Amino acid sequence: MMASSYSAKDEDGHITVTGPGGAALRSKKPENTAFKQQRLPAWQPILTAGTVLPAFFIIGLIFIPIGIGLFVTSNNIREFEIDYTGVDESSPCFNCSQNFSWNSTQPCTCSIPFSLEQSYENNVFMYYGLSNFYQNHRRYVKSRDDSQLNGHLGSLKPSKECEPYAKHENKPIAPCGAIANSMFNDTLELFYNDPNGTKILIPLRATGIAWWTDKHVKFGNPGDGLNLTAEFQGTTKPVNWRKPVYELDSDPLNNGFINEDFIVWMRTAALPTFRKLYRIISRKDNMVPTLLRGNYTLEVVYNYPVRSFEGRKRMILSTISWMGGKNPFLGIAYITVGSVCFFLGVVLLLIHHKYGNRNNSADISN
Amino acid sequence: MYTALPILALSLFDQDVNDRWSFQYPQLYSPGQLNLYFSKKAFVRCMLHSAYSSLILFFIPWAAMHDTVRDDGKDIADYQSFALLAQTSLLVVVNTQLCLDTYYWTAVNQFFVWGSLAAYFAITFTMYSNGMFLIFTSSFPFMGTARNSLNQPNVWLTIFLSTLLCILPVVAIRFILLQIRPTINDKVRHKVRKEALPAPTPHRKPARRISTRKSGYAFSHSEGFGELVTSRRFLLKRPLKSRPVLFATTESPLAQNQPQHYRTITEEQDPSV
Repeated sequence: MMASSYSAKDEDGHITVTGPGGAALRSKKPENTAFKQQRLPAWQPILTAGTVLPAFFIIGLIFIPIGIGLFVTSNNIREFEIDYTGVDESSPCFNCSQNFSWNSTQPCTCSIPFSLEQSYENNVFMYYGLSNFYQNHRRYVKSRDDSQLNGHLGSLKPSKECEPYAKHENKPIAPCGAIANSMFNDTLELFYNDPNGTKILIPLRATGIAWWTDKHVKFGNPGDGLNLTAEFQGTTKPVNWRKPVYELDSDPLNNGFINEDFIVWMRTAALPTFRKLYRIISRKDNMVPTLLRGNYTLEVVYNYPVRSFEGRKRMILSTISWMGGKNPFLGIAYITVGSVCFFLGVVLLLIHHKYGNRNNSADISN
Repeated sequence: MYTALPILALSLFDQDVNDRWSFQYPQLYSPGQLNLYFSKKAFVRCMLHSAYSSLILFFIPWAAMHDTVRDDGKDIADYQSFALLAQTSLLVVVNTQLCLDTYYWTAVNQFFVWGSLAAYFAITFTMYSNGMFLIFTSSFPFMGTARNSLNQPNVWLTIFLSTLLCILPVVAIRFILLQIRPTINDKVRHKVRKEALPAPTPHRKPARRISTRKSGYAFSHSEGFGELVTSRRFLLKRPLKSRPVLFATTESPLAQNQPQHYRTITEEQDPSV
């Protein structure tokens, strides 16, 4: 006895089955459209020797020149680095680093001579570098109040994230947080020792060192930015600072929260060894190099203690190219990957030559 | 959102070969029965691949950002730019790997893959824009990061390098396996490219079910009725009735429960069960 059923197709492809009682039951079969039956028009690529081998060779041939270009560019960048922490007894800054105290009135200065082997052309950038300083610690990174830094002093209540650097002696701290509290406050000055003995101060530009979006959008002074002392009334300076925030610079466009050194510091670094832009030595003109080769002196006002956590401080002078500072890694990596790719292409060619016919000749059996 | 939709499209629309070829070569279903795709070996392979990719996706940006600055001297090695670089590299690598794994590119797949990349950049730039920061200051602190880091050539070179370092070993290994040990899927796909589609099987008369034995061929992951069927015990003793031996109609999507005439399946025990 067979099931007395038959299928009838509707216009829209639904198959209606009439059951034994004569009532129309909707079948559970899926519709017979291209979408539901996986018959959509499609491109079906497979990895053939004709695509993979040329791809490897081409990638190898592209990467190697790029790598060479990057490496040569990086080698042409001139960079000079000098550590002035004062760890060795023979270092000029040794006394400053040993006798550091938080509430000293007289700032400690030290002076380090160095010489440049080559002259530096075009704009020269002066960085300060710190080592073993974890600006990427999670609790440290969160310890800031972005709306306060944007100029909304508001109800004078800093964000909870700033704790315990939010209030001092019952007054809110401006700017609050651990990042602002640990701001780098050494002063570095550069002197050129003329061959006939005079010391020439090299002019350092302190503006144009922070990102434009940071200075003009993210950070802003409260009010209209003119009378900052009055605007910051009712707040107090961070505990580790010597001057309040409205006295960071005499230039009103670089004072308060929009001080560029402050902005550069607040952009927390990703790695424990980092460098931050401190000053720019603008080029004079195309004829004269910006920094001649010769003897120089670095005068440091040593305010920032790093010995307690085995940190190091250094000053870096560097020129710049289209790929940034001196970093040979990308160049070497590209050359290596390009050569490995090319070599792999050759190996795959040999393998294809030897075994490549298994695909078409073999019977399709289990 | 950036990575889930393309994989969803892949799982819904991908196929090795279409249904007509699958009828021609039922051996294609044997990897599924032998549990080749979900074994411990496959899992370990997956783990190794992802461990390698994670190491590449962190250490290449780390080495590239170490002591680097922008081309105008300003900082780029900050926490937010580094995070953006790692995330962008990750997105590009994931979508490229997906492109490698997709064997059946429908319009939907294309839309999801390119769409997710485009959506990633659109959303990133929106989240890091001035407007969002000024409205919801504490929720969008990454303001300006995309604009300031993605216009640097060495950022894009780093992304390109990490993508290629993640993808090239996969391509090389797949190609080598294709040459040395092609699987049934590979062989059939190769045939698909060479030969024409097999002729559609003729229309079948209305179903007169001889037996209601369910065939567990397509979706069994454990031992199904394969042994029973291939043992030929059911084939011989009965006289051949004149029952409709022709295949199901092309309109009917499901394989009907008819004993069907296949090519001879040579019984070779695959050692790697």
